Amino acid sequence: MEKVGIVGYYQVKPETDIQMSRPEMIFYAARGALDYAGLKRDDLTTVISATNDYYDGKTISNCFTVEAGGAYLKDESKVEMDGAHAVNYGLMRCLSGHHKLALVWGASQPSTFYYSCIRVLENDPTFDRPINLLNDYTAAALGMRAYMNKFGVSVEDIAKVGVKNHKNAAKNPLAWNEAQLPDITVEDILNSEMLSNPVTKLMHALPCDGATALVLAPEGLAKKIIDDPVWITGVGLCQETYYLGDRDLSISVSMEKAAQKAYKLAGINDPRKDIDVVELFEHSAYEELVLAEALGLCEKGKGSSLSSEINGEIPINPSGGNIGAFTPCATGITRIIEAVKQIQGEAKGYQVKDANRAIAHGQIGFCAQNNIVFILEGGKR
Amino acid sequence: MVRLEYIKKQYTRTRRVHGNWYLASYQYKFNVKRINQCLEHLRKGELVGLKCRSCNTVSFPPRLICPKCLKMPDEWVHLRDTATVATFSGTYAQEAGDTEPRPYPVVAIRQDGSDTTWLANLPEGYDFFKVYVGMPLKVKWAEDKKGDFSDIEYYEPIEDPSIEMNKKEEAEK
Ligand SMILES: [Zn+2]
Repeated sequence: MEKVGIVGYYQVKPETDIQMSRPEMIFYAARGALDYAGLKRDDLTTVISATNDYYDGKTISNCFTVEAGGAYLKDESKVEMDGAHAVNYGLMRCLSGHHKLALVWGASQPSTFYYSCIRVLENDPTFDRPINLLNDYTAAALGMRAYMNKFGVSVEDIAKVGVKNHKNAAKNPLAWNEAQLPDITVEDILNSEMLSNPVTKLMHALPCDGATALVLAPEGLAKKIIDDPVWITGVGLCQETYYLGDRDLSISVSMEKAAQKAYKLAGINDPRKDIDVVELFEHSAYEELVLAEALGLCEKGKGSSLSSEINGEIPINPSGGNIGAFTPCATGITRIIEAVKQIQGEAKGYQVKDANRAIAHGQIGFCAQNNIVFILEGGKR
Repeated sequence: MVRLEYIKKQYTRTRRVHGNWYLASYQYKFNVKRINQCLEHLRKGELVGLKCRSCNTVSFPPRLICPKCLKMPDEWVHLRDTATVATFSGTYAQEAGDTEPRPYPVVAIRQDGSDTTWLANLPEGYDFFKVYVGMPLKVKWAEDKKGDFSDIEYYEPIEDPSIEMNKKEEAEK
């Protein structure tokens, strides 16, 4: 695959109830990414956003964010999915040869709506919506139970993922304050509020306000903009069926297929050896294990025995991951930015040693229905 | 409405302006003709699933499109009235009039003979701590059948022969 570089990025610090309007928040993300790259708005050729009409309370919500998102009199489009999907859209535009510089941003403010109630509106109206109980939490619970039951994984093993991600988040200044818990224990996780048995509050990603943005440029141009662009060398995405009842929730076939496509493009034969760090979008602690297994980092059902700490064999979510800060629509871009920071050696306080090749992942839908995998590489090797 | 969210903090600086987006009712089209046969069987206290002729996947409740083959399944097959728990959860929700959230079982049930699962009811007030994956169930039909999915009033837990078998095996050891 022809290379496209990430030449700028910016993360607005996620907050429970951010004291900014939506356009302000988006402005800081977009302006920050351009400033990082030392670019003017005029340099941009295309702007792609990730927002959700339901979250924003407006239809075609991107028509209200033109000014803040830098799209005035530009080629502009929107993805009603995760930010990682918007990055893929921007990537395709760069690869088409028709666009030179793409600004991609994602944002939402869950402090203005009941996230779990909105997710009910995502449900099939005939069979699932009348039950009124299928949302993020119950879907995660069904998946977690299926996973535990199939592979004999204990609830403590899953809670450990929450411990790791909360501890990592405590080292990341751009994680959500409420998720920065350096002294958390497995007991704390298990004793926290039961959202939907067996999923407790501290093993689940809770939505908060935030916006992130990054700038993409084709190879030749990227090298002119900054000294050390991080390259996207592979990408793959895959969609599952909507109905949870059609899927085996203890595994993720779509993640497996997405990863295989990305590995092929990037020339990766053995992800265990070739990948230095992984940034995953996990809605719930068990999901990190299922997704890591689908990436081929270990056998199915063995995710909890992976050495995934910051100084482990294959660090997963050194930034704290999605449990560390879940900003709907922006979080996939955050995963990519965090992987870029690791490769650049900019992840101060949670830096993985000698990271040069990373996986960043985004998803959308109940129980990771749709997965997208990016392979990112630096120039160190 | 289900209220599982954490409590919002009071804002201090920005003002929150309330807006309405009326979503409480809307219209969508559902082609009942395609599942009429299933509904007629339900009225008679019988269960049928829809089978895809190209991959033999049987769905219950009937799915109108086979995602694997991109075909419209049209072969109806009879299903037994027994089922098993595929996966489950117990969640907490507060209905109008409740003073505090109550536990509700959320159970994915696979009708025997079907390849798909759906969320259906257990007897009212059933303790979800007793539910387990693989638990056998049997359809409890409604008294007055209307020819829709509410004719399956709930799924009744039935005796699980595997428990006795496991006990015997363990005793023999
Ligand atoms: Zn088929």
